[in-house]
Amino acid sequence: MQSKPIALTILDVVSIVVLGISTYLALVFAPTEAVMGDVQRVFYFHIGTAWVGLLGFVVAAVAGIVYLVTKDLKWDRFEVAAVEVSTMFFFLTIVLGSIWARPAWNTWWTWDPRLTTAAITELIYIAYFMLRQGIDDPEKRARFGAVYTLLGGLSAPITFMVIRLFRTIHPVVIGSQSAEAQGGFSMSSDMKVAFFFALFAFTIIFVDLMWHRIRLGALQEKVEQLKLKMSN
Amino acid sequence: MTDKKSHPSLLGATLAIVQKDLAAEFRSRELFSAMLVFSLLVIIIFNFALELDIEVRRTVAAGVLWTTFAFAGTLGLNRSMAVEKDRGCMDGLLLAPVDRSAIFFGKAISNLVFMLVVEAIVLPVYAVLYNEMRIFQPAFLGVVLLGSIGYIGVGTLLSTMSVQTRMREVLLPILLFPITIPVLLAAVKASGGLIAGADLSEVMTPVTLLIFYDVVFTALPYMIFDSVVEE
Amino acid sequence: MFLETIPDTSRYMLAGYIISFLTMGLYVASLYIRNRNLRQDEQLLEDLERDGKK
Repeated sequence: MQSKPIALTILDVVSIVVLGISTYLALVFAPTEAVMGDVQRVFYFHIGTAWVGLLGFVVAAVAGIVYLVTKDLKWDRFEVAAVEVSTMFFFLTIVLGSIWARPAWNTWWTWDPRLTTAAITELIYIAYFMLRQGIDDPEKRARFGAVYTLLGGLSAPITFMVIRLFRTIHPVVIGSQSAEAQGGFSMSSDMKVAFFFALFAFTIIFVDLMWHRIRLGALQEKVEQLKLKMSN
Repeated sequence: MTDKKSHPSLLGATLAIVQKDLAAEFRSRELFSAMLVFSLLVIIIFNFALELDIEVRRTVAAGVLWTTFAFAGTLGLNRSMAVEKDRGCMDGLLLAPVDRSAIFFGKAISNLVFMLVVEAIVLPVYAVLYNEMRIFQPAFLGVVLLGSIGYIGVGTLLSTMSVQTRMREVLLPILLFPITIPVLLAAVKASGGLIAGADLSEVMTPVTLLIFYDVVFTALPYMIFDSVVEE
Repeated sequence: MFLETIPDTSRYMLAGYIISFLTMGLYVASLYIRNRNLRQDEQLLEDLERDGKK
């Protein structure tokens, strides 16, 4: 295992800095939203985590395909890292959304398409880890994992389309507004600054965490191989 | 030996596997009776759990039926794959000079047949017990078929995977249910509409999604089935 | 008063940000701990291997 690359150390520092700036922009810089009050400020992190959460799942599905084609275990480490970091961020998205929903919709949870799809997606990726846990052979684990991320990546959008048949109250902040949406608002320019910076900040943090997780995966593999060598 | 015999066509090999499964099942009837009794029990439990009076019954009928099919389907999928694995039949099949996709289609078709047979018995029983005769319209039966195809397509692939893990039977529903939620929801939406007296044209959106799901989730397992059986 | 029309939802906001930092912190901690444990395993295995060769 080579020592930690300098680029990664730099990325660590940058991640902490942009997280700090993003927090400042969200909590202090952005104006208080007039209808919902301060709770609207969780929106910046909600969007940031949702973006990297979805990004990670797409990255994982692509890595899964590449693994199935190349059979190179490095893509498996890439895929696991993407799914794990995304699952963590997506969990945050759901919790933050719920915290926002309580004062805005007067309920912690509602069976709206986005919320339901988010919950199901999260369950798919928890199932992914249970599947991997039950397999000892690393090569088979990688193959099955790749197949499952592929199925999950295809199923989630269809789930969303199907649940769309039921009505939604989730606001669409970017793009067109649904007539039945509640708690929507239009962003002032200062809010937009905080919004786009949050997207940027979480992308950096995501890359940083993924890099660490990939290195962890490589170390795991090395230890597994050492153990195998010892038992022979 | 002729060349034809040593390399049977895709269709021939598929049918041979289906025939093998059906013949074995016809002799033992283990799987079939387990699925059937289980389905009837689920329906009875729902009756008490939801206290289905006339009003409620109409609105939840589709949900009850599809939940029953989903649970019975998992039971069947698990059993049919576990048998292959335990008796070492899977290795035999893999060694046979047939296309791997023949194994997938063979297992999928026999799983589908088991599920359809169980549905063919559960539906009339449900209709009689709950006096719900709208079930016997062609459109409703078509929706049942479409829903079962999508469910079994993914189910066959995932059960092949789950029997090879340490958790085996326990893992299949956990893997399968979140992936098949779209097909179950669309099927519930379409069949619920039909039970409520809607015309086929009124439930065309969920039916289209069902067909879309069926196509994607039969083609994809077919393409990647190789990756879950190679040793 | 105009200001009073904005509802006070700062407690929810606070909860949201505390949970965000807590979750990310826990994840980083789990990465750190898993990494440390693996390093220890690696060290141990390498030592064992060297002893075995002697």
